Amino acid sequence: MSRAIGIDLGTTNSEVAIVENGKARVLPGENGDLILPSCVGLSEAGKLLVGRDALRQYAAAPERTIKSIKRWMGTDHKTTLGDRTYLPHEISAIILRSLKQRAENALNEPVTQAVITVPAYFTDAQRQATKTAGEIAGLEVLQIINEPTAAALAYDLRSEDTERVLVYDLGGGTFDVSVVEITGEVTEVLASHGNNRLGGDDFDRALQLHLKRRFQQEHKIDLPDDPVINARLLSAAEQAKIELSTHSFTTVREAFLATKGKTALHLDFELARTDFESLIQPLLDETLAAIDRALSDAELSAEDLDRVILVGGSTRIPLIQQLIESHLGQAPTDGIEPDLCVALGASLQAGVLTGAAIDAILVDVIPHSLGIAVAMDTPMGVMPGLFSVIVPRNSVIPASRSEVYSTFADNQDTVEVEVFQGENAIAQENVPLGSFHVENLPPKPAGTLQIEVHFDFDLNGILTVTATEKGQGQKQSLIVNDNRIDRLSAHELRQAQANLNQLFELDETIEVSAETTTIDFSPELIQLIEQATAKLETLEGESAEELQSLLDQIAAAPSDESIDLEVLQSELEDFLYYA
Amino acid sequence: MMTPHDRLGIAPDATPAQVKAAYHAKLKEFPAHSHPEEFKAVRAAYESIRKGEADRDGDFLKMRPIEAAIAPELIQTLKLNAIAQLDLTLEDLIRETF
Repeated sequence: MSRAIGIDLGTTNSEVAIVENGKARVLPGENGDLILPSCVGLSEAGKLLVGRDALRQYAAAPERTIKSIKRWMGTDHKTTLGDRTYLPHEISAIILRSLKQRAENALNEPVTQAVITVPAYFTDAQRQATKTAGEIAGLEVLQIINEPTAAALAYDLRSEDTERVLVYDLGGGTFDVSVVEITGEVTEVLASHGNNRLGGDDFDRALQLHLKRRFQQEHKIDLPDDPVINARLLSAAEQAKIELSTHSFTTVREAFLATKGKTALHLDFELARTDFESLIQPLLDETLAAIDRALSDAELSAEDLDRVILVGGSTRIPLIQQLIESHLGQAPTDGIEPDLCVALGASLQAGVLTGAAIDAILVDVIPHSLGIAVAMDTPMGVMPGLFSVIVPRNSVIPASRSEVYSTFADNQDTVEVEVFQGENAIAQENVPLGSFHVENLPPKPAGTLQIEVHFDFDLNGILTVTATEKGQGQKQSLIVNDNRIDRLSAHELRQAQANLNQLFELDETIEVSAETTTIDFSPELIQLIEQATAKLETLEGESAEELQSLLDQIAAAPSDESIDLEVLQSELEDFLYYA
Repeated sequence: MMTPHDRLGIAPDATPAQVKAAYHAKLKEFPAHSHPEEFKAVRAAYESIRKGEADRDGDFLKMRPIEAAIAPELIQTLKLNAIAQLDLTLEDLIRETF
């Protein structure tokens, strides 16, 4: 049996890991980089870019670059790239395909099986979309596991004493908190809570708005609402956020953002860590409330915790560490790799599933309650449409539970079973998963006919609902998948895989032709490019990205007639003069 | 009939530590990914024994009011929903009439 990989498919960054001789390690790309930015784009010349190359062009070409696609997983949100549109799981498939390739290059063997992680709080639809993305990328997805759980697996305790650990996982786009009990090789999740739309991206956006306000205050004009300017500000905000994790102050500099009369206007000011902290404090307070709910679901209090682990790039923000420490009364444990431990844990589980010699037993829970809509007696009389929970949140998976319900009216001959996922007491406020009818019930007075509703939720997140009339045994069942993105048929899957292959092959042929075109440049421009290339070595972050994107555009010019080389040349001159 | 203690292979008077050790041993024997049905049975036995322990610890004294699940906010939301629905029907009615 070939070896299976573990993949952390993140909002901002992704990683791939493998178990070798009982030890997990993250596999590097060709440049030695362990992290692949979760970014997909097309170059000016139509070449597919994945990872750092795509990220580099984001500030200059946001319309050809896709970031943070994970935020849209499980929806039918369409993104245009080149001459076609993509669904979120198709973009994710490109990233997964790239990781598969990375693993195959590093291991020098074909890779066909994977465990992929998702946020613990992901819904059923988001999990299914992730699985489909893996299949399009040519991977058999052995299991979808939760990110904080994977992190806990990677966290090697090697103690027979039970430790209770809180995993706080704040990434680029999602937040999870899990309370985990680790005893020897058994890792058991007691409770999970989270927010699928909270992460570093939100901090960047808050800071981006702040930069806009500062610009307005200084120059008394609004910044134009232009995609390129917004993208530049967003990249500047992200850079400043990262700087502020290690420095108390940082300078934000963005040249030529707008003009007032004939004067070019720049953004150039100092930003204090405290400014940033006051912007994100309200978002962080939400995460503290989530910690409390997870603890209460696990029937534990803060004093019962032996350890606190921080996972995800956003936990580098010092304020987060301070808030958690004061909230829980203990400092987070050091020595965890917040960017890599999820992929490492995923590879360990992949090893377990393919029979590698690893002693790890995982007991995980379902993050959202599952149930049906029913009529219930309330102080206001009988109310229809209330949510009756059958599998409560934080039940261990796989789970099987039943409840018995009775008919509402005399001689009722049909019941409708509407299945929902969520925590709201009103059924319609939760996520609908599907519905079906049980028909031809025998005539009986109201309340005497009994119907047993059985929920079966398996490790792959597939829910089977069966309703049985207890007297005569009429039975009806439903296998619930998401109804917006149905799982692909074999034919559709082959088509999607073929499209993806084509995209990757196209990429290679164009790369070759792009190499041969640089000879048309004037001697002055070639000299400038040489200067710029040397300069690029000394630059970092935002300005490096800006320069790189200028160079990319120039490189693409010979194959694209819409590019004005003279304009680019003078921009490059300006840049070198200014820098 | 198999009791939860039988299922975990322990005596009815096993200590909590023994219960947990037996549960972990059964998990090793029946991992969720390869033996889902046995796993569920083991888990159900473990939960029922632990629930029994909690009851012995005096949990049964915490009586819960029967209507606890129907919170006042919920009733408020239901009222608002009902009113919203009435409003809508009125609009529809007007549209239908003219």
